[in-house]
Amino acid sequence: MQTSVKFHRIRMELPGVCMTLGLVAILTLVLFAMVWGLGLEHGSVVYLLPVVIAATRWGIVQAIVAAVCGVLASAFFFYPPLYSFRITNPQEVLNLILFIFVAIVVSQLATQLKRQLETARQREIDLRDLYAFSRRLAVAFDVSDIHAAIEDHLATVMQRKVVLFASARDAFASSGRRAGGAVPEQVLAEVVEVASDRRDADNSGVTVTADSGDIWLIRAVSPKSSEFGVIAINLGRESREGSDEMRIRVDAVLADATATLERLGVAHAISEARMRSQTEQLREALIGSVSHELRTPLASILGAATVLSAAPALANEKKLRALVHDVRDEAERLNNDIQNLLDASRISSDGVKPHIEWADPADIVNSAIERCRNRMSDRRIAVNLPADLPLIHVDPVLVQQALVQIFDNAVKYSHSGSQITVAARARDGRMILSVSDQGAGLTAAEQSKIWDRFARGERHAATTSGSGLGLWIANAFIAVNGGKINAISEGPGLGTAMAIELPVMQATVTQMEDDTDE
Amino acid sequence: MNEPAPIVLVVDDEIQIRRFLRTGFELNGFVVHEAGTGAEAIRSATLRPIDLVIVDLGLPDMDGSEVVERIRSWSSVPIIVLSVRSTEAEKVHLLELGADDYVVKPFGMAELLARVRVALRRQMRAVSGEPTVKIGPLTIDLATRAVTLNGARLTLTPKEYRLLQVLAQHAGNVVTHQHLLKEVWGTIHVHDTHYLRIFVRKLRQKIEPHPDSPKILVTELGVGYRLAQSGSDAENGAGAEAPAKSES
Repeated sequence: MQTSVKFHRIRMELPGVCMTLGLVAILTLVLFAMVWGLGLEHGSVVYLLPVVIAATRWGIVQAIVAAVCGVLASAFFFYPPLYSFRITNPQEVLNLILFIFVAIVVSQLATQLKRQLETARQREIDLRDLYAFSRRLAVAFDVSDIHAAIEDHLATVMQRKVVLFASARDAFASSGRRAGGAVPEQVLAEVVEVASDRRDADNSGVTVTADSGDIWLIRAVSPKSSEFGVIAINLGRESREGSDEMRIRVDAVLADATATLERLGVAHAISEARMRSQTEQLREALIGSVSHELRTPLASILGAATVLSAAPALANEKKLRALVHDVRDEAERLNNDIQNLLDASRISSDGVKPHIEWADPADIVNSAIERCRNRMSDRRIAVNLPADLPLIHVDPVLVQQALVQIFDNAVKYSHSGSQITVAARARDGRMILSVSDQGAGLTAAEQSKIWDRFARGERHAATTSGSGLGLWIANAFIAVNGGKINAISEGPGLGTAMAIELPVMQATVTQMEDDTDE
Repeated sequence: MNEPAPIVLVVDDEIQIRRFLRTGFELNGFVVHEAGTGAEAIRSATLRPIDLVIVDLGLPDMDGSEVVERIRSWSSVPIIVLSVRSTEAEKVHLLELGADDYVVKPFGMAELLARVRVALRRQMRAVSGEPTVKIGPLTIDLATRAVTLNGARLTLTPKEYRLLQVLAQHAGNVVTHQHLLKEVWGTIHVHDTHYLRIFVRKLRQKIEPHPDSPKILVTELGVGYRLAQSGSDAENGAGAEAPAKSES
């Protein structure tokens, strides 16, 4: 084994040595020409040149080769007797010995410089990797982001294929379809072992030879905390010694990485993120299913109330009919609240996907008014829709629902008999749908808060009911259509104007012109 | 109504819903059959003569849309679907499968009765071959292609007339965008809703007394259009949750 390593070493150095020999040969030719042509005295000092070049470019071995060759060439070509390695003048022998000494010192210095440069460069790369890694950790949103960052960082540092498994379940679920594909089955099985029953007590890792012949190293990322997961590294087809060497490097890198991770509080961050997303999911699921369950009996209550309110038996029973109307109206209000909860959970759980189509803004405004007709029956409604409004490319149902929320708010915070003005206009490539009331208006503080989820005006908390979801929902529905809502109020008691702004695009109206009068 | 009492089949798995529908319909002179599952509904529809079916979408044994499809495969009986909100695409799908109309849960009895009457009237017109459709001040004679508003003859372009004709053939019921586009502009334009929007605007200018708050050619957002059915409904303004206007 020892000889094979040596042989390998020689093979590595050989190209540099050949180049050095070439350099010395060229220099000798040049010097030879100069001595004979220009009558120069011998120039052994010039042989320092290849020594320095070899030392900086290739290393100490080549530098020594250059020095020895330089001495031999000087002795052979330039010192009498010429064309023999013998030297007669003791002065010149001294010169050559001095030369060898200088050459060795110079080459030592040069290689040292080179090594320092390389370490500096390597350190810079490491630092940049580490920096990128810590930045990714800082912006990581959830557990999987953090794990991906660890995985990439290790892959860069190790220069090997690295797969990180968050848990035994992750490895179980991923049977072969993980990032970069093919993690062999035997490796997966071993990962599950290491992750679940922690058989790897001394934490030096387990190796598995896959069918492909590649050797995989499997170990927990950190001996102290299972939060970081289990890592599988493809070591390739290294010999036993090679893989041992690799293992030592993996140890070093993982020790580094876990130290960084611990310092950055990743373990804490991971468990916190996991917990947060779980409670969030639980809450949304609860809201969703409870609202759904509530709606079913509500449909029966509302339906039965409408049947009763029109029943001939109650035709002359004014008081009873009033009660039935109360049941109907309250059930309707409850239904609106439940619908808001459902919309809110839809927005925050899977997001709202708009069904975009060409829509007439007048249609949207009219159908929103139609839906609120009962609720707005004691307000004066003024509608101002120009005949030449451009079409808009939106989800008309979502925009209508946003408008309904705004109408609801306008009714809630204004007196009966006051006016609500609805207008639409196109300006600078935007469609603006505005709803102005003569109601309670907004204070400066309220203006900044009304778009928050569960925002409720403190001035009205005692007098009006509501969940504080309405405007938050309206805002989300308009945002998915590429628009925004502005609230403008001169101040408390001076009314509020809500303006929905939506983008207008030019519809291509071409093949429609073949329509002549009958 | 002088004809024998219309028979309606109510398909819903919630007994409370069936109960109030039965009471509501019976008070308005209908005969009611009930079914709690899709299989029962299909059996019931094959065994007895039925004038109208009301189907809830969430049934325990099969999807409501499957009931619509199965019944439609042999019968032209009007079908009204009970659906939930936020599912415009599903409504369109159901209408394409052959449902005549839909009502969104929760709903009032008056709203459902209005839809039911429209569907029954359309069925009767189809059977009798009556060529004129009257919506408030507007009259469309499908035989002579004459359209009049308050007795005055209107001039429509061929495409405008075709649009109105398709809507009139389904007067009172929703007609989907896709269906209208296919019938008026042809199959390759089924996604060009902006054609439809522009022509509906032009048509409203001619047939609506107040084009900026249309009462005759009504928009069903995200689904299609409907011609508000004749008589009291059109005047009433189709107030979705308005209390019942007792007609019995």
